[in-house]
Amino acid sequence: MEIPYVVTPRKDTGLFNSKIAIWLFLASEVMLFGGFFSAYVFLRLGADFPWPERTLPVLPGLINTFVLIGSSVTVVFAWASLKLRDWRKFQIFMGITVACAAIFMVLKGVEYNVKLHHQAVRLKDYTVIEGHLGKETENGKPVLNHHGKEIEENLILVNAKKFTFNTVRFYKPWIEELLTQANHHNAKITLSSDVVAVVREGQPAELVAKAGVPLSIELLTKLQKTHLAARSHNGEYRTQALRQEWVNAHTANPDKQDWQIAADVNIDMKALAPKLLDEISSVSFDVVPPSKFDFQPRDIKEADGQSRLRDDTVVDGELLDSPMVFHAVDAIDFQHLAMKAVEKGMDPIVAIDNSWLVKNNVFAKEAWEWNKVQVAKIEKRLLDDYGTDAKTGKPNREPTLKERYRIGWKDFVAKSDGVDRDKETIKLKEEFFGPDYHGREEKATFEGFAVPREQVGFAAKFTPAWNTYYALYFTITGLHGLHVVGGALVLAYYLFFGRQMYLTNPEWLANRVEVGGLFWHFVDLVWIFVFPILYLM
Amino acid sequence: MADTPEAIRKSVRTYMFVGAVLFVGTIVTVLVATVPAFDVGEHGFDKWDCILGLTIATIKASLVAFIFMHLNHEKKAVYWLFGSGLCMVCSLAGLTALAMYSPIFDKYFFSGH
Amino acid sequence: MSSHSTSITEHNDHDDSHHDDHHHELGFIQKWIFSTDHKIIGLQYGITALSFLAFGFYLMMVMRWSIAYPHQPLPEWMSWVFTDGWKARWLQDGKVTGETYNMFGAMHGTIMVFLGIVPLGFGAFGNYVTPLQIGAPDMAFPRLNMASYWIYLLGGLVMCSSFFFEAGAAKSGWTNYSPLAGFADGQVVNQWLAGQTQWLVGLVLLITSSLLGSVNFITTIINLRVRGMTWMRMPFFVWSMLVTGFLLLLAFPPLEAAGIMQLMDRVAHSSFFMPSGLFTKSEGLADLSGGGSPLLFQHLFWFLGHPEVYVLLLPAFACVSEIIPANTRKPLWGYKSMVYSVLVLGFLSFVVWAHHMYMTGMGAAVSTFFQTTTVLISVPSVVIITSMLISLWGGSIRFTPPMIWACAFIPMFGIGGLTGLPLAFNLADLHLHDTYYVIGHFHYVVAPGILFGFFAGILHWYPKITGRFMSKTLNHLHFWPTLICMNLIFFPMLVQGMAGFHRRWYNGGDAYLSKAADSVNVFGNTVAQHIDLNILMSSGAWLMAFFQIFFIINLFTSWKFGKKVTSDNPWDATTLEWATPTPPGHGNFTKEPITYRGPYEYSRPDCDADFLPQWTEPKRSHTLDTAVVSQEAASSKA
Repeated sequence: MEIPYVVTPRKDTGLFNSKIAIWLFLASEVMLFGGFFSAYVFLRLGADFPWPERTLPVLPGLINTFVLIGSSVTVVFAWASLKLRDWRKFQIFMGITVACAAIFMVLKGVEYNVKLHHQAVRLKDYTVIEGHLGKETENGKPVLNHHGKEIEENLILVNAKKFTFNTVRFYKPWIEELLTQANHHNAKITLSSDVVAVVREGQPAELVAKAGVPLSIELLTKLQKTHLAARSHNGEYRTQALRQEWVNAHTANPDKQDWQIAADVNIDMKALAPKLLDEISSVSFDVVPPSKFDFQPRDIKEADGQSRLRDDTVVDGELLDSPMVFHAVDAIDFQHLAMKAVEKGMDPIVAIDNSWLVKNNVFAKEAWEWNKVQVAKIEKRLLDDYGTDAKTGKPNREPTLKERYRIGWKDFVAKSDGVDRDKETIKLKEEFFGPDYHGREEKATFEGFAVPREQVGFAAKFTPAWNTYYALYFTITGLHGLHVVGGALVLAYYLFFGRQMYLTNPEWLANRVEVGGLFWHFVDLVWIFVFPILYLM
Repeated sequence: MADTPEAIRKSVRTYMFVGAVLFVGTIVTVLVATVPAFDVGEHGFDKWDCILGLTIATIKASLVAFIFMHLNHEKKAVYWLFGSGLCMVCSLAGLTALAMYSPIFDKYFFSGH
Repeated sequence: MSSHSTSITEHNDHDDSHHDDHHHELGFIQKWIFSTDHKIIGLQYGITALSFLAFGFYLMMVMRWSIAYPHQPLPEWMSWVFTDGWKARWLQDGKVTGETYNMFGAMHGTIMVFLGIVPLGFGAFGNYVTPLQIGAPDMAFPRLNMASYWIYLLGGLVMCSSFFFEAGAAKSGWTNYSPLAGFADGQVVNQWLAGQTQWLVGLVLLITSSLLGSVNFITTIINLRVRGMTWMRMPFFVWSMLVTGFLLLLAFPPLEAAGIMQLMDRVAHSSFFMPSGLFTKSEGLADLSGGGSPLLFQHLFWFLGHPEVYVLLLPAFACVSEIIPANTRKPLWGYKSMVYSVLVLGFLSFVVWAHHMYMTGMGAAVSTFFQTTTVLISVPSVVIITSMLISLWGGSIRFTPPMIWACAFIPMFGIGGLTGLPLAFNLADLHLHDTYYVIGHFHYVVAPGILFGFFAGILHWYPKITGRFMSKTLNHLHFWPTLICMNLIFFPMLVQGMAGFHRRWYNGGDAYLSKAADSVNVFGNTVAQHIDLNILMSSGAWLMAFFQIFFIINLFTSWKFGKKVTSDNPWDATTLEWATPTPPGHGNFTKEPITYRGPYEYSRPDCDADFLPQWTEPKRSHTLDTAVVSQEAASSKA
């Protein structure tokens, strides 16, 4: 059996099979990315927060654009060389194409890495602070978690006296983390009281675990098994009992409907009790002596006295002061606060003057006052250049919201150098890797700046969690990156394993490269739109 | 058809030219977005920046599609196949965006953000 | 497989061999499991899809118990499937809980739509029949075809395996609306072990599978038609599959985008679909950035959702449109108008989606637009169904087993389609939205409509697949009770829906009842009047389950013991799949067929037999035939 039109085009359609397939596939890809672009339009038009305009460093994106365009040119050259039966040239051009893909992905990785280490916090009054967190230390040494990694100073601290675990839902890695921390404080986590339960039908209660046994995953697993067995056992008996109750109820009330008698149909628990086993749904452990435990903010619903972890573990103990500590702050952003103030009919300037940050931090107040002067300078410059509207008397051009309400890293540098904002340029390296604190420590006067936990509205790294813009940025570029990798793998396959086919059926290889190239151009084509909408708008 | 060696040799020059146009287009877009002196419309980002940026992007995308992807001399069937996708994506993006033009969204839509 | 035909095609292979993937004797695994033969893949799709359908049916039976008898423990004959541990987790004293009902409801919908009907219609029938009907040796990309089956199976298993997680399977409805779906299972620390996440992973896999499938189908239909098979000589079945392919190709990716975004919301805590200031009872104020839009998810979902309806429906149309002419011995009435209708239908189905969203407050202008397009799209469907109905007129109908199903399809689908009209109107929909009326409407389309079409299709092509007919007696035992039960189940739903029964009541409205006869609870009184229908419908569902056993017996026993076919064309049909040996070997045709005429040449006055197959060479000498040939040449040019 042979599938026709694999190499030669069909006469009436003029196309070989894989060419039809790739165009169909691209149509489908258009829909996929179209879905994301529609989401972008929808979310941006409907955003109830100041959309981060032109927020990414342009240079890495620009270089990536050049790299992709270049590779688009070389892949078409590679195809042309194959058509002209020049294997050597094909190798060169295809090699460049694949190398371009690699450069693209490396740059992408650098960009991602910077974002994933950059912290942002939105205070309760919608002031946004951006920067880098300090590392948790003790006696000058970094504290490590149970993976042996450094911990950032963004933790909920509890002086824990007792842990109560849900025997079904406890999460093993967290138990390990608790044990590591207890070990660190030379504390012991031991079973509070004897666990005594009926584990065999009709038998008296037996000792399942003795008070004082140290916490271990094995112990919890054992209790879990006992609990689940009892739950199954009891469930079966209760079901049978309820069934019998309904049979009786139907005989007693032959002409009543279920809903009329349902309230009176109940299991006779007294009669059933001797048959049932004891379920151990939770189990408590004491911490001796009570010690300081830390938890990731997302994992815990903190409250003084009793906090609850996401796996239903209850932590008894006093909530300690758990500030979020910045090693360095590289931007203060009042745009969101200003927007909220306008929505409430307030003067944004007054609202910012009265914000928690400006009132409580001298450097922030200084920076904000400096910023007011800078905005006035920009206003004047725009007025000089573009004048005012003859009818309304208002200036033709005004500073942007970003200029008015955001004080970024460059501005901090400009301020400390005593020059106007935007006069100071940052180092080329910083375009790629973010602010470089080396040699500028004295300007990062926020060092050790602590945000009290009760001021924190929402905190995240610059990940998809931070806002819908970053969510779109990561999802679209991530998916595009997967396409780049996929396309590069296919092209690399032709480059490294195409020789055999080139010798036997060069036209077939040319067809394949053309089809792979069409995909590659499409990836470039998507980037042509991704670049302006994510980097420049 | 670009399938004969002669035609391919000829079109290589076109590819070079198109590649150069794409580079220039990119640079223009970036200049307009980042250098105040080249800014169009209002000071900062506004609808004119958006329109200009997307227009240049569309021109670049068309060049890639028509020259690099050979749509300029492709079979009719391909236009139908790929066109169907383009047509439907317009429906998706257009109609969802249109659905935003409703009273509950007006506050955001016309607020100028 | 017929070894005879295989050997012929293989002989050809050895001459120009650069395919090394088939040898003389394929092992069991290569032949039946990792096969690249479209017919085997079609059967794999069919068997898998039927299994998923049975599973989805079972979930529904449990749900119907909860609706009919919310206070009573689930009876043994349904609960024996579960392990004790599972029962202890998900049933409360043996009763179905609201959470369990939600889980089963969500998975019933998902399984029936994505794992049952689509793979059965497009995957099974499409795969088996399409290449045969266009005279192709196989699909254009056989290995891609195999990949799409395995990815589908993987996606299905990933979704269903989540029943065994501590947190259970997805439980936010088959539409998976955010923010509910974003929060469900939020307590699970490792999100990859939450059913709600696995649902999304499974969905992405299923979409990948259908993407590969649709690319393959469309390429095959465009490029692999045999000589003489012009566009207007293609059977309506192939046209339907072509349009279905396009719907899958273009409508699924936006849902894939939505699925990926929701996955990000779950595992990366983004807020694509999460609005600001979201507060839940369990979590308090959500620890999310907010700023997203739940409406966006609905747009992307229904952009798929509506074309999806036609992805389900068109394969059933396809089957019925083949069966009716073969059994009325009469050409399909209005073939051309049906073809144009199906194309218009395919196009329009992309611009009607927001009629699922009238309640979201999109605004009057947009609602009016979608109302108009929705009413418009009923026109092509009516053209198709009317053509089928008129095809019956004046035919000498043979009530063969497939034909009785096809005949039942038309009125049943008719009810389903017509009950949809009130939902198309903005104003009427505001009352009916999310009531049992909606459930009744789309189940009339899918269950007695589409599934009847598929039963017809199975009976119709079974002799080609196995060389034996399915039993007539067993079929009657299956058909009549199923027809009655279907109406018992779904008609009362329309009534209940009018009375305002909400579609997501896990206890069938029980909570609204009040014992006091003089209660001021007016709605409770309305519910009391209609609540007994719950028991009628549930009994109908369980009874119908019983009669499906006859189908299963028939399906498997006939394979070995059914009546043997006496020719390769047992129904005396005209399309190309009947020109193959029975069953067709790898490579399908023993010699390449040539198509001389349209697909439905029945009862031509110039022929002795009452059918003239597409592949029969015309007798040139005969004057009449020459006229016909020139006519055909003219029509093929057109």
